[in-house]
Amino acid sequence: MEKTLKKENFNSLITGLKDKGYKTIAPKKDNNLVMLDEVQSADEIHLDHVQTNNSVKEFFLPKTEKILSYKIEKNKVSMEEPEGFAVKTVIFGSRPCDAASLPVMDKVFNWDCSDKFWVERREAITVVTIACDKCDSYCFCTSVNLAPDSKEGSDVLLTKISDDEYLVETVTEKGEGLIKELETVFSDPAGGTPERQIASVEKKFEIDKVKPWLDENFVNKVWAEFSTKCIGCGACTFVCPTCHCFDIVDECTMSKGDRVKNWDGCQFKMFTLHTSGHNPRSTQDQRWRQRIMHKFKYYVEKFDNILCVGCGRCSRVCPADMNISEMLEIIATEDNQKE
Amino acid sequence: MIEALRKKAEELLRSKTVDVVYGYGEGSVPERTRPVFITKPEDVNKLTWNKYCVYNLTTYLKKQEARKLGKPAIVVKGCDAKTITVLIKESQIKREDIYIIGVTCTGIGEPPATKCKACDVNTPLIYDELIGEKIENKEFSFDERYAELDEYEKLSEKEKWDFWQKQFAKCIKCYACSSICPLCFCDRCIVDKNQPQWIDPSAHPRGNLSWNVTRAYHLAGRCINCEECQRVCPADIPLNLLNKKLAKETEKNFKYRSGYNVDDELAMATYKEDDSEDIFK
Repeated sequence: MEKTLKKENFNSLITGLKDKGYKTIAPKKDNNLVMLDEVQSADEIHLDHVQTNNSVKEFFLPKTEKILSYKIEKNKVSMEEPEGFAVKTVIFGSRPCDAASLPVMDKVFNWDCSDKFWVERREAITVVTIACDKCDSYCFCTSVNLAPDSKEGSDVLLTKISDDEYLVETVTEKGEGLIKELETVFSDPAGGTPERQIASVEKKFEIDKVKPWLDENFVNKVWAEFSTKCIGCGACTFVCPTCHCFDIVDECTMSKGDRVKNWDGCQFKMFTLHTSGHNPRSTQDQRWRQRIMHKFKYYVEKFDNILCVGCGRCSRVCPADMNISEMLEIIATEDNQKE
Repeated sequence: MIEALRKKAEELLRSKTVDVVYGYGEGSVPERTRPVFITKPEDVNKLTWNKYCVYNLTTYLKKQEARKLGKPAIVVKGCDAKTITVLIKESQIKREDIYIIGVTCTGIGEPPATKCKACDVNTPLIYDELIGEKIENKEFSFDERYAELDEYEKLSEKEKWDFWQKQFAKCIKCYACSSICPLCFCDRCIVDKNQPQWIDPSAHPRGNLSWNVTRAYHLAGRCINCEECQRVCPADIPLNLLNKKLAKETEKNFKYRSGYNVDDELAMATYKEDDSEDIFK
């Protein structure tokens, strides 16, 4: 189904969503950042950016979340599971790379057991993506088999066709349902083929050359050379839409507590520290290698997907200017011989 | 200046005075630089110097990955050089274990960083070799030094509380603030200790408050105002406001400014009978 959406109708869209009981998340200016956050009106929506600072990840896998509460009384332990965490929501205006991270992560969250927090939120949230009309030098979606107008993971894709109008394409049944629910907000496209304003994202490396190199180069001096500057914080993993590692902790007193799930990241020294004191990844180059290996080798072998969508957030945010696409360019370079 | 820097680095590496030079190299975009670790004299052309050399490279003194490259020469601006003074005072390094390449600096960042506004260390206070023409260091009054706190201090207690609640809510607990801090050198941070769990690891209001306040407190009387924590925060939390406030209280109560004089007694590690007790309320 194809429709168009005029910018002047953004307000009716947001009001319409509210009336239909949806919570709306959209890009919003917050001082120096543009954050995906809840909006109440179209005035709050900010669209003049390359990429939001946060990804859609936190709406499916929050940075912290209670997964159960418990009480210990005499000989009895009682548990209570949280309810109401999956709220009917529309994410409006996230980027195609963010949306593409969702089906990739569906695989791990439905692997050996189904993660109900992820699955129920996936059902409750509709993703309305806006194709990128601009990019920056950190973007590399075209190097990981995606594009600035990819439809993967989106329920609806919007593409700018003029300064005040977007072409609306439904991708899934859920998306089609949403468009029908808010029919009056959308217009029928004028005849002819509208000119889609889509960014031109430079292809930086051949992804097909990455995994064969990784298969052979678990040991290579490149890892250490590239990562000496890494300070070992978790910023890259936390802003990443596909990094999904978490830690589970009990916040408790003697008689009651909450079991809480928190984001965790492979770049922390503590991530792999054993109780014995042994750390299988004792240096930062090993942790950096793990990040690349997990994204471009292990996940590919297990789930047949690259665990990276080329959004470039990790590189933009890195305190030491580590640049993931630069690493992948080194890896994919023909003359980069096995040591 | 770049040529002089490269020449010095080459000389130090050739003469084996040092094994590695921690310096600034070209970054992924023209508006960024990145830390580089030069071990071969023929690589000194990778060194650069410009207004985007924001990093306080002394932070790599706490990283085993950099330390294993051998004895370092470190390129430092005046602000960064203050860190070395603190690290010596706190027995983390010995003066003779490092070679300090001081660079004169008239401000970094675009727009210039807040710390540059009342900079009184355009020429580093400690160095082995100075690159760039010596600049007469300015002097600022107490009020001028802490002018960035003026607006904040006008807030009521309730407004301050609300301000920080809002700021800390953004924290994602990535710990970039402490990972980048050259003075956060504990091998095992209090946040990593879980028996007992001093600080909730969760990024919820209680966990975020206890982390951010503890981080700031551990830097009271120590922070040298390099602003690196604030620069790297992916959540854009104005962390240096906390550091600066604590620095102001330290100076007011103990007449101590961190990193200025290697002969000064550390404010938080020294007891004097006439120490002010006004801070206990």
